[in-house]
Amino acid sequence: MRSIMTQRFRWFPVMAILLLLGASPALAAIQGVTGTTFNLTAKADHISTPDGNSILIWGYALNNGRMQYPGPTLILNQGDTISITLTNNLPPGAGNVSILAPGQSGGTATGGVQGLITREAPPGGSVTYTFVAAQPGTYAYYSGTRPELQVEMGLVGAIIVRPAGFNETSNKIAYGHPESRYDDEFLFLLSEMDPNIHEFVEAGLMNMIDNTKYWPVYWFINGRAAPDTMLDANVPFLPTQPYNCLPTTHPGERLLMRIVNASRDLHPYHTHGNHHKVIALDGRLLESAPGAGPDLAYAAFTTSVPPGGTADGIFYWIAKAGWDIYGTDNGHDCVDADGDDLDDATHEYCPDHGKPFPVNLPHKNDTTFGAFWGGSPFLGTAEPLPPGEGGFNPNGAYFFMWHSHSEKELTNFDIFPGGMLTMMFVEPLSAPLVNP
Amino acid sequence: MKGNRVFALPGFFLLLLFIASSPGWAAITVQCPGDTNGDAIWTGSEVRPDNTVCIHLTAGDGFIRMADGYLQYIFGFNDFTGTPPDQVMDEAMLSQQFPAPTIKVKEGQNVYLTLSNVGMVQRPDLFDAHTVHWHGFPFQTPVFDGEPMASISINMGSSLTYYYAAPDPGTYMYHCHFEATEHMQMGMLGNLYVTPRQDDLPDGTVLGSHVHHTGDRYVFNDGDGSTRYDVDYPVQILAFDPRFHDASMNVQPLPFAMMRDTYPMLNGRGYPDTVSLTPPAPPDENGGRVSQPMNSLITASRGQRILLRISSLSTVEFYTLSSPGIPMLVVGKDAKQLPAYFTTNSLTLGGGESYDVILDTADVARGTYFLYTTNLHNLSNDNEDFGGMMTEIVIN
Repeated sequence: MRSIMTQRFRWFPVMAILLLLGASPALAAIQGVTGTTFNLTAKADHISTPDGNSILIWGYALNNGRMQYPGPTLILNQGDTISITLTNNLPPGAGNVSILAPGQSGGTATGGVQGLITREAPPGGSVTYTFVAAQPGTYAYYSGTRPELQVEMGLVGAIIVRPAGFNETSNKIAYGHPESRYDDEFLFLLSEMDPNIHEFVEAGLMNMIDNTKYWPVYWFINGRAAPDTMLDANVPFLPTQPYNCLPTTHPGERLLMRIVNASRDLHPYHTHGNHHKVIALDGRLLESAPGAGPDLAYAAFTTSVPPGGTADGIFYWIAKAGWDIYGTDNGHDCVDADGDDLDDATHEYCPDHGKPFPVNLPHKNDTTFGAFWGGSPFLGTAEPLPPGEGGFNPNGAYFFMWHSHSEKELTNFDIFPGGMLTMMFVEPLSAPLVNP
Repeated sequence: MKGNRVFALPGFFLLLLFIASSPGWAAITVQCPGDTNGDAIWTGSEVRPDNTVCIHLTAGDGFIRMADGYLQYIFGFNDFTGTPPDQVMDEAMLSQQFPAPTIKVKEGQNVYLTLSNVGMVQRPDLFDAHTVHWHGFPFQTPVFDGEPMASISINMGSSLTYYYAAPDPGTYMYHCHFEATEHMQMGMLGNLYVTPRQDDLPDGTVLGSHVHHTGDRYVFNDGDGSTRYDVDYPVQILAFDPRFHDASMNVQPLPFAMMRDTYPMLNGRGYPDTVSLTPPAPPDENGGRVSQPMNSLITASRGQRILLRISSLSTVEFYTLSSPGIPMLVVGKDAKQLPAYFTTNSLTLGGGESYDVILDTADVARGTYFLYTTNLHNLSNDNEDFGGMMTEIVIN
């Protein structure tokens, strides 16, 4: 099924890279809001999917701004007492709404009305939740009111708790241990959607919703389905889906993956390029004793986070290719003074230095080129390609697909490719990381 | 199914016509150091370089027979290592297997894997390229990763040689990544594993409390013999949606959104075919060639340690695989030794996950045991009850 599908996919990344180049350089980080007091409003609005669909969503808005999917990522500091006031501006018929923040400590709820699981904001009313962000890590928050409907409708978001001692420039750690240090961090909030439910809600046919016939056909990372995952954050034409997911790193850096499963199903999330080391589950470091560090961490090439759960993984990439990834004809050195087999600046794997590329690549007429192929097997080298081929990799970066390995989920309502996938790319050291 | 043959014949000629009329570059070309005639093996005066492995895979289409007798159209791989390159197109067209041929290499070997795209005879409307994605390869580069968005894929009638410095030992898997949802559901999936350097230690080497003897084999370079095994079996979880395959065969829109697997399998067969030492009847539609050579019958002598290299390349579901009769000692996940082993009777795998599991039969009575999915509705071959994702472990 090559003809239609690859062509359809091909021009989307053009936008991604153009937008990317237009963005002002910034450190790779997670978008969100910081503080101790938050005002969120539950509202209805629509999101867009790459197949052209528009889907009714109930979501959380920051203050009285536009609803977003997922809700604002709350970035908190360990030990802070957090207060969240939720106002219910959902349409009549949606009923009450609330927030649960699993994994947090000492939660209280005041105002509103008592619901089954927590206190809730009635239509037009408010409720205030307080808790202590006692433990660092990656968490979710979501509605505790009719969750089988309201979470599906979009009332879900992520919470990140910075550990004591964290510093954005000098001490980037995910947990209170140096082994959780990282250079770049990215959020992967995974979700899926059955548009039938949303259509019933939009038509006022709430009694038609039948969870026994749940059949998702959209899959999202941070509220976007591929290829929109790779667009810039805050693109104006996705006003209710501000977050992207386009992880980038340099050779030898530590990339922190914060995975939140905000859906009903498991999604086997696969990282091309290398394993990732799972250092924490559900906001708790995998350690044998407090303070031991992540001694129970394990490496995985695919991680399946249970519904409602979270995982933190450290991804680290260098090449051990058996050939010199910078090529043999440009006179570069591999200087390893500290004895770790890696060049002290570029993190080139010195045992492979100077080894020639091992095979001849096929003639271009016999080759199908990927949009993210830079025309050369060497990192930091871009070579010309036939007209209309490649073009989205100006720095000669190494791109790797990071995706759900339930391959059915790489579709947008019957159209391949799309869904729960994005591209991670390793930039040569000379290129800055410009994301989000 | 007569219609298939009627359709396949013009498809065959169209494919030949296309290949004959394409620019003069296309050719089956094997790159294998020391091999001069392109058959990927070393014969006569050809000298095999130390530590070198060559593999020649083809990618195309074929037919298999499900355990209930149903004919299934597939995309797949086959192994044509040893075949002269000018014969590969003739022999490989409409001749792929399911699962793909098992690839087994040693840590540190230089692996030259040539992939030749022989086209899809049943689908002359398709011009699909193919790739090999070594799933889980650590510290990979895009050029040899086989993910088509970030690299290159090989067109019909041509060859691409991948190079791998065989990495850390353990259980990986491989598949075509081109239009992954379609090509993987259609069957381009196979077992792949790497054995450790520790297997080749000198006789008498002391590994902690274990003394290595020539012939001892291990899952990992464990340093203590704790992953030693006597017999090993790759067990790959696979599943097909026949509606998807029939739509592909009949050139109909593919049901991505409605994809639902109803042929759960191990190593490309449903029970009871999983334990049959003779392959299912070769379909006439692929010229009567055997297309499902791999069984999943696990046999050992009492006292032996059985290694199960369990992987999943399911494209839709998670499956739980259970060994209720013999405890499973889990020593590795995703081709990495676990920091702490654990014992269980079941493991749950999504697509793209693997486990290395040792069954110690020292305390197990002789007899037949079962390895099967406890997602019990998958003990079926489509509408036929009692079958599906199950095999037998025979302790002699």
